[in-house]
Amino acid sequence: MLLLSIGILMGVVMIAVASFGYSFMVAQTFEQIGRMDLLLAIMMAAASIIGFFTTIYKASGVLFGFKDYDLVMSLPIKTSHVVASRVLQLYLLNLFFTLMVMLPAGAVYAIKVNPEALYYLFFLMALWFIPLLPIIAASIIGALISWVSSRFKASRMISIILTFVVIIAVMIGSFRINGNEQVLTDMSTQLADMIFKLYPLAAMYVDAVCSYQMGSLLLFIMISVLTFVLFATVLGTRYKAIHTGLTTSHASSKYVMKPLAASSPFRALYKKELRRYMSSSIYVLNTSVGMVLLLVMSIALLFISSEKLGQLIEIPQLSNYLSKLAPLVVSLFITLSCTTSSSISLEGNNVWILKSSPVSKQTILLSKVAVNLTITMPISIVSCVMLMISLRTSWMESLLLLVIPLIYACYSALMGVIVNIKLPNLEWTSEVTVVKQSAAVLVSMLIGFISLVIPFGISLLLSHVNGNLILLGIGIIIMAVCSVMYRYIQTNGEQLFRAL
Amino acid sequence: MLTIKHFSKSYKGGKKAVNDLNLVVEKGDIYGFIGHNGAGKTTTIRSVVGVLDFEEGDIEIDGISIKKDPVACKTVTAYIPDNPDLYDHLTGIQYLNFIGDLFSVSKADRESLIKKYSDAFQITASLGNMISSYSHGMKQKLAIISALIHKPKLLVLDEPFVGLDPKAAHVLKTIMADLCSNGSAIFFSTHVLDVAEKLCNKIAIIKAGQLITHGKTEEVKGDKSLEDVFLGLIDND
Repeated sequence: MLLLSIGILMGVVMIAVASFGYSFMVAQTFEQIGRMDLLLAIMMAAASIIGFFTTIYKASGVLFGFKDYDLVMSLPIKTSHVVASRVLQLYLLNLFFTLMVMLPAGAVYAIKVNPEALYYLFFLMALWFIPLLPIIAASIIGALISWVSSRFKASRMISIILTFVVIIAVMIGSFRINGNEQVLTDMSTQLADMIFKLYPLAAMYVDAVCSYQMGSLLLFIMISVLTFVLFATVLGTRYKAIHTGLTTSHASSKYVMKPLAASSPFRALYKKELRRYMSSSIYVLNTSVGMVLLLVMSIALLFISSEKLGQLIEIPQLSNYLSKLAPLVVSLFITLSCTTSSSISLEGNNVWILKSSPVSKQTILLSKVAVNLTITMPISIVSCVMLMISLRTSWMESLLLLVIPLIYACYSALMGVIVNIKLPNLEWTSEVTVVKQSAAVLVSMLIGFISLVIPFGISLLLSHVNGNLILLGIGIIIMAVCSVMYRYIQTNGEQLFRAL
Repeated sequence: MLTIKHFSKSYKGGKKAVNDLNLVVEKGDIYGFIGHNGAGKTTTIRSVVGVLDFEEGDIEIDGISIKKDPVACKTVTAYIPDNPDLYDHLTGIQYLNFIGDLFSVSKADRESLIKKYSDAFQITASLGNMISSYSHGMKQKLAIISALIHKPKLLVLDEPFVGLDPKAAHVLKTIMADLCSNGSAIFFSTHVLDVAEKLCNKIAIIKAGQLITHGKTEEVKGDKSLEDVFLGLIDND
């Protein structure tokens, strides 16, 4: 546990340092044109966009998917207060990212501008309200999706599909804005104007913090708080109806015994696990968003050449890098889609069923790995074939593009299940706490990320060496790690599962 | 059928939930395990069925140690916990079929036994519904059916009558008696002393992790009611 705490702390420090470095770099450009206020404007907009994106697909889960609903709703509390407490949970989740972006940016601004004492006061006061509006905007969309879905029989599936449609639409929309304006990295007043036009609260924020406008500060805080109260009150009136619609199963009393299909224990566990996966929208959205983005990106690259994409985002060497590093880029999306890192925790109170069953625990663990591979492998193969066409890769590059992500898929799934069995959380009331916030998910994400950053770094540092050779070496190493993990599950699975 | 030898279980902080428990359940026994809340009944039961790990002592099922060969022990054991937490995302029939697969029950056996027991508990018509739509009692019935379809040699139940309607409770008692007359053994905890007195041929009473009495029901209760004996033992010291 101490090691875990140190690891998390180190991760936080690393993010803070990277964020500070980024702010410092961007600030140098703004310093030259004498518009340091733009630093805070852009960073505030960035924090808001992060808040919006990370909330949109978990809003429905946090607002409606918690096990102690009956207990909470039977207490003498107003429904709007229950809604408010759920939104505040989303707020706390996002506050971390806001602090990671804004605190370093604020420090850089203070170093460069040397502002009055009032700056620090206004900055710290406004800081806490930045995530509120983006979260509410995302929650409104989440609640609307839930409201629409709750009217259908397959409410969960509809909710998942609608959320993906919204995410892809917002992505395409923002891409088109950037593409048309061609200002993604051209940090200028044009960009600030666009931000202020699209998100007037950013202008208010800059006025308040950089120009010490008390009126703007009060208006910024008031708008954020009032929107929050209004949302909680309005959703409070429809809350029970939406929850009932989402959780009520369509029951009939007409079942007659039919012939049953018998399967092997592994196949039965696999089918059960796949059904578990599909039954939770937060689980699906959180672990398959990477694969959906990969698919969208691969399709987009069929229509936009990598050279054009490079021009668009002003990285002229992009097409070069992309064909060399595409296997690692695809693998990054795969490691983001690790379902196994929460699959044991999600057993929750049901874990007794598996623990008391006469099946080797290795079989149980491997069935969870198989479900993860079912989600990552087919999309990975389809995307890689599309990337082969769009990037016009050589036969060796094509082979690596196909094989390296598959090796990483095995690696990510095996690593996730081991991390989860070492760091289980079976006592949960909301799936969000397992899928989004559990130590196992964070640790496996961190390990997955490190496992890709190192090969990326090696490939970039050794650019004079044949890239295919480096990728081949990485593939062999990861395969060796996979076989070690597989063996570990075979020899220690029983004991680890018993200790749960 | 079940031998518990010097079984002890401590929780974090060193508190002993069960201390040096010794118990033998033979074929044909319906063994009642009685004690107040927190006495150590559930801890013992969960250890017997391999859900809870333990360090001291040993538990043997059909002569096999649960520590040495847990899979072999679990193949002949069925367990019903005090709270039937089942997979909400499956339908009743999917759950029963899943358990049938895990215990490698033949297709013919599982079809006939599911029909037999779900008809007896009157939930056949609801088997196509999601478990999330089931009441507590229906979940309990489903858990009981899932325990019976693989014809266990040892049936371990933790408070099996909680949540059952009177008809279902009667059906369960009949099934328990039938199972034992066919050579299986049953070890179960209950707070319903009337049921224990009428149903069990053997009784064990546990208090604060210590077995305070056990043996044939008639010997344990003598000429008193089981309730009087239990209250007398629990209230002592």
